[in-house]
Amino acid sequence: MPDLNIKVGLIGKFDMLKFKNMKKVREKAIQAASADEISGVFPVNENAKALHPDFLELVIDRIIDRGEAQAKTFVLKRADGTPLPYFRAGQYISLKLPMDGSFVTRSYSLCSSPKDALAGEYAITVRANPGGFVADRLLEEKKPGDKVITSGPLGFFYYEDLRDAKNVIGLAGGSGITPFLSMARALADGIEDFNLTLLFGSRNEENILFRGELDELARACPKFKVIHVLSEEEKTGFESGFITADLIRKYAPQEEPFSVFLCGPEAMYKFLKPEIEKLGLPERLFRRKLIDVTKTPWECEGYPQEAKGKAFSVKVKQGPQEWTIPASADEPVLVAIERAGIKAPSRCRAGECGWCRSRLLEGTVFIPQENEMRRWADVHYGYIHPCCSFPTSDLTLEIPGEFF
Amino acid sequence: MPKYDIVVVGAGNAGMSAALQCQLAGKKTLLIEKHNVPGGAATSFVRGRFEIEPSLHELCDFGPPDNPGDTRKILEGYGVKLNWVEVKDCFRIISRYSDGSPMDVTMPAGIGNFIDKMEEYVPGSREKMTKLFDLFQEVLDGIAYITASKGNPDSKVLQSEYPDMLRCGAYSTQKVFNALKLPKKCQDILSTYWSYLGVDMEHLAFIHYAAMVHKYVQRSAYIPEHTSHQYSTAMIERFRELGGDVWFNCRAEEFLFNGDKLCGVRTNLGDVECDYALANINPDIIYGKMVPKELIPEREKKLSKARGRIMGGRMYTAYFCCDATAEELGITDYSYFLPSTADSVVEYQRIQGGMKTNNYSIFLCYNTVLPDFSPPGTCVCSFTTFGAPDEWGELKQEDYFRFKNEGVKKMLKNLKEKTGIDLSGHIEEMEVGSPWTFARYLGVPEGSVYGYEARDWDGMMARMQMVGNDYPIKGLRPIGAAGPRSDGYSATIVCGQMLAGAALRDLKAWSEGGNK
Repeated sequence: MPDLNIKVGLIGKFDMLKFKNMKKVREKAIQAASADEISGVFPVNENAKALHPDFLELVIDRIIDRGEAQAKTFVLKRADGTPLPYFRAGQYISLKLPMDGSFVTRSYSLCSSPKDALAGEYAITVRANPGGFVADRLLEEKKPGDKVITSGPLGFFYYEDLRDAKNVIGLAGGSGITPFLSMARALADGIEDFNLTLLFGSRNEENILFRGELDELARACPKFKVIHVLSEEEKTGFESGFITADLIRKYAPQEEPFSVFLCGPEAMYKFLKPEIEKLGLPERLFRRKLIDVTKTPWECEGYPQEAKGKAFSVKVKQGPQEWTIPASADEPVLVAIERAGIKAPSRCRAGECGWCRSRLLEGTVFIPQENEMRRWADVHYGYIHPCCSFPTSDLTLEIPGEFF
Repeated sequence: MPKYDIVVVGAGNAGMSAALQCQLAGKKTLLIEKHNVPGGAATSFVRGRFEIEPSLHELCDFGPPDNPGDTRKILEGYGVKLNWVEVKDCFRIISRYSDGSPMDVTMPAGIGNFIDKMEEYVPGSREKMTKLFDLFQEVLDGIAYITASKGNPDSKVLQSEYPDMLRCGAYSTQKVFNALKLPKKCQDILSTYWSYLGVDMEHLAFIHYAAMVHKYVQRSAYIPEHTSHQYSTAMIERFRELGGDVWFNCRAEEFLFNGDKLCGVRTNLGDVECDYALANINPDIIYGKMVPKELIPEREKKLSKARGRIMGGRMYTAYFCCDATAEELGITDYSYFLPSTADSVVEYQRIQGGMKTNNYSIFLCYNTVLPDFSPPGTCVCSFTTFGAPDEWGELKQEDYFRFKNEGVKKMLKNLKEKTGIDLSGHIEEMEVGSPWTFARYLGVPEGSVYGYEARDWDGMMARMQMVGNDYPIKGLRPIGAAGPRSDGYSATIVCGQMLAGAALRDLKAWSEGGNK
């Protein structure tokens, strides 16, 4: 090492001593301070925790019957009525419901305005779903005063001014109206700022969910328009038939760019896919709410047909615990885990949020292409999202813990 | 109750490194992680058809397989295997020199290349730059010696082998630059690195700066092919292969004690018995929330107070997935540093002043190094800046979403003005990470991923020399960016290994002393 001869100016012969003294200087600085209790509480962290809680313990405050639309709105509050986490109109909460000794999650879009969260209220709307495991029981059994555990607000189905066109064409079917209702309310409350033209498909006039609310919002707020599209009725003042590319073009701005937001049942997605392709929109101008995992995996491309209907055994590990449980090839493995009464994490149930991400140690699963949203390394190293993975053999699975 | 020799709490860089070190030493090790993915900041997230890297810009001190740096050596020593890709340039900076003249400089990796390029930008700087890098090397060797001595270096050896390190060791980077009579323009270009540690050049210990810059320049940096989640998952894979257990969505609630000695960890998945815990958690959180008050030594209370809860680098980031290629958008470089001035003292103050005065950002595009990072015809970019504590502490929820986008709009505008790169009209997916996001996700105070500011008396070298003094609770050591090696991927990987080593020595001493 050449002599660098850097003994210039402030740096001189006492430098070695200074180096050796670093410890003493630091200890002196420490000892000069007072020995107050360490708090561990930081405002930024408290804010973040309030906005993104592990879970919420809510109470059903009131239930609004939607009559012919065969739905009920549940207004949820904290027991002490304090503000709930703010959210972006279009987000959902995941309900964690104890059912027959097991925990089941279901996600519901918030249909209230973000403003209501500050006043301590969330609203979700549940529509009858004959044959379904959860919706009908919620409608029949839940009463004001009942407790519900939910997640905080989640999901990416919301307007983002840096990304989306200022004009949004919303396509809604059935209970898929709920996130748009929240957006319309946010527009009316001045929380959001874009132009929403909603094409809302219903069977007939009587069957329109939130008819009164939507029309009232459209009257009050120039940024929001609603066009009712009836599939089983022809009436003046309504569009009839199904939502098509032509219908979208009819209501979309001619000169300006527009985004298309879509939320509706599986059948609607399937019908609209080719229609939306006809519009020739770049991918960035088309957003859809996550798609529930299919109930008929054997109809999916690439499904190993020999697995259909088979019963398998799944060894589940969670922290120090281990269970062996039965599972059907026809249901996502998460359902088998829930049915066994294991408190497993899950939120979106559509492969998107990754909250149920688990390590597949042994066995094989089938994942429908439209729910395949895993990270590269998760695919590579054998991690799956049990909410949308169907067993095609016996499995050994390591699942994460839960907090509630 | 499950029983382990060592529980590592938090599978961030330091935690994963510590867990591997403990397991390799034959200890029965449990790694618990409060999220369902490993890595802490070393993770990824998916939006639409994109997978996004949230934090890693460059893993420094890595180098190619035939010339490995310390970081590569450590990871290879653990037996962690994955594909790494070289980032050839150190940085491009578009700003103003401290005399106000415009600056647009691209610096390559490799000491020779770096000095050559500097000579082009600042003619006549070669001799001083060569001296500076010789000094960097001596500092690096000196730190290696001090590390190897486990905090007890022989002062005779230090004086004979590392005299220049000793001469500079107690000074700020600015003072040493001045003493070396380094041309001001060189200083300005070299100051680009200040933000890696979040301390301006007047308060950043030279020794810390020297070690870091040498690591970035000497060997080119690397990134994993498929985001840092690939690296974290490979770390976990290796740890499990060695027999370690990992529990995800498992949060340590508190540490359990038998008298004054740690005996376990309470978690949402139940209590776990252990002889030692290495906690990848900020010490103010551990000592403030997770340990019985009566066990907190007076000195550690004073240490917390003396630091004044001043945290470095509260991250504020934005991620953009664009439906155009980097080429189509005119992005030619991997990283663009876009401060308003090269004067780090001014820039630091502007950041502390909050969104009104902060115009600092780093822009990065992964596809310039990894063309297949995202689907064909697309690219993924990110912005990084820092948040001011009061601004984000006082912010209300109902203003949060709008507020966090305001700063991002400013960064986009700054990028367009300085480089002509315009992302608008191409944004298919985006996400903003505010100090709230980092506070929530990493659990770090104020969203600071840098830990306590490593400035003045609390610099890296001073902390390193006091590893044996700080945080003396028996069987519990904090590890991570708030620790002796300060922030950064490589620093925390080293920190995890180093403090796991200290834990293993403690365990050995206790068992030999019959203290178990």
